[in-house]
Amino acid sequence: MSDTVLELASITKEWFGVPAVSDLTLTVPRGNVVGIIGENGAGKSTLMNVIGGVTPPTRGTMRLKGEPYAPGAPRDATRSGIAFIHQELNLFTNLSITDNIFITEYPRRFGMVDHRAAMTQTQALLDRLDIRHAPETMVEDLAPGERQLVEIAKALHRDADVIIFDEPTTSLTPRETARLFDVIERLREDGRSILYISHILSDVRRLCDKVAVLRDGRLVDEGAIGDFDIARMIRAMIGRELSSLFPDRSNLPSGQVMVQVDGISQPGVVADISFQIAAGEVLGLFGLMGAGRSELARILFGLDPAEKGSLSIDGREVRGAAMQRIRDGIAFVTENRRSEGLLMDAPISENISLATIGHIGRGPVGLLDREAEQALAEQARSDLSIRASDLTRQPVRALSGGNQQKVVIAKWLAASPKLFIIDEPTRGVDVGAKYEIYALVDRLAAEGNAVLFISSELEELIGMCDRIMVMNRGEITATFDPRETEPRFEREALLAAAFGEIVT
Amino acid sequence: MIRPFRTMTASVALALGGAFAMPVQAATICFAFQDLETEFWVAGHLAITTTLTEQGHTVLERNANEDANRQFEQVNDCIAQGVDGIILIPQDGESATTIVANAQDNDVPVAVFNRPPSDLSRGIVVVADNATIAEQAVDYIVDQALANAGSDETLNAIIVVGDLGDPNAVGRRTGFYAAINKHAERFNVIEVASNWDAATALSNLEAAVTANPQVDLLFTSSDFLFPTIRSVFEPRGLWRQRGEEGHVWMAGLDGDATACQLIKDGYVDATGVQDLFFEADAALQAILQAIEDGETDPNQVIEDPGFALTADNIAEREMDMWGCVLLAEGFLD
Amino acid sequence: MRRGYLDRAGTILLSDYFVLYLSLAYVAVLIPFLPVLSTPANLSNVLSNMWPLLVVAIGQTFVLTIAGIDLSQGSVAGLTSILIAILIATAAPEQVLGHTPVWGWLLSEAGGPLAGVSFGTWIGVGIVLAIAACIGFANGLAVAVLRMPAFMVTLVGLIALSAFAIWLTQSNNIRNLPDDFIALGKGTLVSLFFGEQYQAQLPRREVHAFVTWPMIVALSVAVAAHILLSHTVFGRRMMAIGLNREAAEISGVPVRRIIVMVFVISALCAAIGGLLYTGRLETGRPTLGGGNFLLDVIGATIIGGTSLFGGKAKILWTVWGVLFFVLLGNTLNLMNLSAFHIDMVKGGVILAAAFLDVSRQRLRRSRT
Repeated sequence: MSDTVLELASITKEWFGVPAVSDLTLTVPRGNVVGIIGENGAGKSTLMNVIGGVTPPTRGTMRLKGEPYAPGAPRDATRSGIAFIHQELNLFTNLSITDNIFITEYPRRFGMVDHRAAMTQTQALLDRLDIRHAPETMVEDLAPGERQLVEIAKALHRDADVIIFDEPTTSLTPRETARLFDVIERLREDGRSILYISHILSDVRRLCDKVAVLRDGRLVDEGAIGDFDIARMIRAMIGRELSSLFPDRSNLPSGQVMVQVDGISQPGVVADISFQIAAGEVLGLFGLMGAGRSELARILFGLDPAEKGSLSIDGREVRGAAMQRIRDGIAFVTENRRSEGLLMDAPISENISLATIGHIGRGPVGLLDREAEQALAEQARSDLSIRASDLTRQPVRALSGGNQQKVVIAKWLAASPKLFIIDEPTRGVDVGAKYEIYALVDRLAAEGNAVLFISSELEELIGMCDRIMVMNRGEITATFDPRETEPRFEREALLAAAFGEIVT
Repeated sequence: MIRPFRTMTASVALALGGAFAMPVQAATICFAFQDLETEFWVAGHLAITTTLTEQGHTVLERNANEDANRQFEQVNDCIAQGVDGIILIPQDGESATTIVANAQDNDVPVAVFNRPPSDLSRGIVVVADNATIAEQAVDYIVDQALANAGSDETLNAIIVVGDLGDPNAVGRRTGFYAAINKHAERFNVIEVASNWDAATALSNLEAAVTANPQVDLLFTSSDFLFPTIRSVFEPRGLWRQRGEEGHVWMAGLDGDATACQLIKDGYVDATGVQDLFFEADAALQAILQAIEDGETDPNQVIEDPGFALTADNIAEREMDMWGCVLLAEGFLD
Repeated sequence: MRRGYLDRAGTILLSDYFVLYLSLAYVAVLIPFLPVLSTPANLSNVLSNMWPLLVVAIGQTFVLTIAGIDLSQGSVAGLTSILIAILIATAAPEQVLGHTPVWGWLLSEAGGPLAGVSFGTWIGVGIVLAIAACIGFANGLAVAVLRMPAFMVTLVGLIALSAFAIWLTQSNNIRNLPDDFIALGKGTLVSLFFGEQYQAQLPRREVHAFVTWPMIVALSVAVAAHILLSHTVFGRRMMAIGLNREAAEISGVPVRRIIVMVFVISALCAAIGGLLYTGRLETGRPTLGGGNFLLDVIGATIIGGTSLFGGKAKILWTVWGVLFFVLLGNTLNLMNLSAFHIDMVKGGVILAAAFLDVSRQRLRRSRT
């Protein structure tokens, strides 16, 4: 059953004469999952906005179920049977599931809102998606994955033919992701078509029937999933051969223990955490969401209190607040770049100098030495190849995810730390930039620093780390050292440890 | 703090119209007042401005919204605009002193009424004499009470005093004693503190009346407390009309609409009134005179003797009291 | 062609001097109708009204920079006003102040404890500034350490401090301030004499103050504040806190210490403003800084361009914002509108200015 549901013919969208999407032709067969991949800025969002009626195309036409389709507003798209599941969900958290599903058109009976009918219909939808919550549950009481399912229920309720998912798994736990994939599977069997946008290529591999690769607004490659291995996807996305996803590590850890953590405990958060990191070593920290990884990082950095335990660097105990610990040589690249790592509206140079701003002050009142600040930023730009037009004016908001992450790292490099705590550094960063960040991690280690690399992407830990520690419910359940256990890291064993199962 | 007097009235216009002859030359007068919050003020300020306008003067009105600092700035702006004279109803006596001095330093004559500056030595100042006004009102009820009592009876007299930090309250209390002490041996005086606050007055008055169930005469330092007094008196059978057995002779001060109504109804017998028509009239007349004389810093204190509006004279003087004027305009409806 | 034109308009809109241009344009439009606007007498008034408000608004600018707000500034000004008067008054009438809680041990017929003491005025100023700093310190501690919302903390300050000030003198005002203090509020350094003037019926001397002590004080505060906010590490850290407190903390900014210091600065500015107003009015008033005062302070600061949400502030903006507000009040006085219409017109003009500001923000965003 491969009749075409959605047909895009020579779609071009220009912003002030600059094409964001050019001459793009694509067909979406019924009952297919089509993966849309591409680096940030490749035109995926613009394309989706055109389909979703947010913005009209400059040229080109669309056909939906054989009919010409030219939505004037998102409302038209919804009515025509296109549902859009955004990264940031569109739900009213203070309303119930039912209210959210029926918000635009409550069933009526004798002119009154028919709550009972709404409840029954909602229940039916929830059953279809295996959501075990009552229709009157408040959305704010649901986990992120469940909220997403509510969005899907909304789409089903409107009987959408085409459902667009934009990076749906970024905030989901592995379990929730698995469940989402089941649901998508069922939607496909139901004869609905899915456009699936994602950075996670293995997911695309697993889920999609067909892949379309965008680069610089053009469709550069497309085909059935069978013909597409990950290497081809990457090649098409970045337009060149990428020999490997990860750089070769350029050094081996020295024998010298640099970071010593002893018995750090905080009731309800982490229990009895002890480990060491040698100079030049990258220690991975793996675990599921809620395993206590980021909490441990915050404790190590002095942001949250610990009841017991100690941390020392080069034999000197480190204590006190973050300010103090920065001076003692710790850097913390946080999980949430936007909310914890950067001043999004401040210029790049001000972000880079933030952690070391005290050194830029001159005289008794601490007058800013702007030349020194600019020099610092300039050096970071050439050192980390940050792609920005004007370091002192351009706000970091205007940078891509990868460049933003480089600004965060530059900020810490300025403080010349010894221990880098890096939490999910490649989240929301596209493939090409990921490689650069891995290369940076390698460089940090090669320069003799200790790196604690926290991630929920097992691949990158395996690719980058000398050893990997696994946390589960606030405790370290296992530490893997390939120098002792041949051959390399065992994926199954790592996952088993993360789920808290006994490793045999 | 409650300010018992906020004044001026709709018929100031009438009063002023006949009060004095037109000055030689049309003048620009700055009328700076402290507040325009109540209906009463709306009518009052309209009256003053129309009166001046009708006489060919230009009026610049400035509302300070109870902010002394703003009033200071507004008067300075008036001066910059080149006004010939300033009529001021100040926010308080202390800032009035600065404003008056400032105007005179800029060679602009200024007159103040309703609330006197703390320093009476500069400017034209019309001062209501609280003591005299209170004495007139209390005289009336003392006479009535004595006339209706046995010749050797000692009478219980209550005075509800205001906040004694307010010179107005002090003056009114002085006036009360001046009247009572003419027959000191006949009265037993009970002082009830109100601090210009209805709730305080209520509890203190209840205590006083419980201790002295026999009340013959009452003077309240402000009319705004009459509703409070009523709520204490009525359940105890003390709220009676004139002529009824057990009528308490009552007088107040201010002359608001409620007092006017109560005098008409026979519950209250007198109220002392600041004679605002006189005050506005005097201030205007003096300022126009100064302009005519070319005097830039006229200094003069004009006393407002006020008067007592009583059950006996209400027929002829009703329209001289702003409360009754408001009443006639349906203020209490 | 058209684009260049728009570009230039955009540049003016985005300039640091935008509100100054706005004020000048406003004056230019009104001058044909209100010639008195440009007279020396009026300019002198505008300046005199500007200085104390500017000092207070500068303090508010600092607090807004860290995404806080200080509602207690008005009551700090009122408390300052009454405290300085209690300390340095040269005489006090017992009849009025005899029953206040300060009578006898602080204030007497002979005035305050510092009356007649050499440098008494300056000792008094030092004491009240120290008290204001303590109030700011307490506000700052509550916000920074107890992490209470600044709005609530300073709202409590607003209510409690003004009640305390009123209680201290039982709502009475205190006069008889020494001459050197009054000079602080209105003392003139340079006046210009414009000859006799005959516009009014009475000839009058046209002597107008331009360079005054309040001007010196306010401009010194402004210059110091400008350097602190835009050219020091401290200012940069304030901006960082305003933009993203979490990120600032993680980047090693001593967030708590800076928040406390900012509230101290705000209270000090409020106190200095209070002193200037007190000197000008020659009266210590517990209710100084009440009413709409706070709206003028915050309104002027926001109109200048400082963001209510933190991280975006310049002292220069605040100077123009205060100028605009003072001009607005001044012109409305001069327009001889009826008392009812004044506030309506004022609201309308502020709304228009706010609208311009919003479009300015949008333009700024679209340009980056």
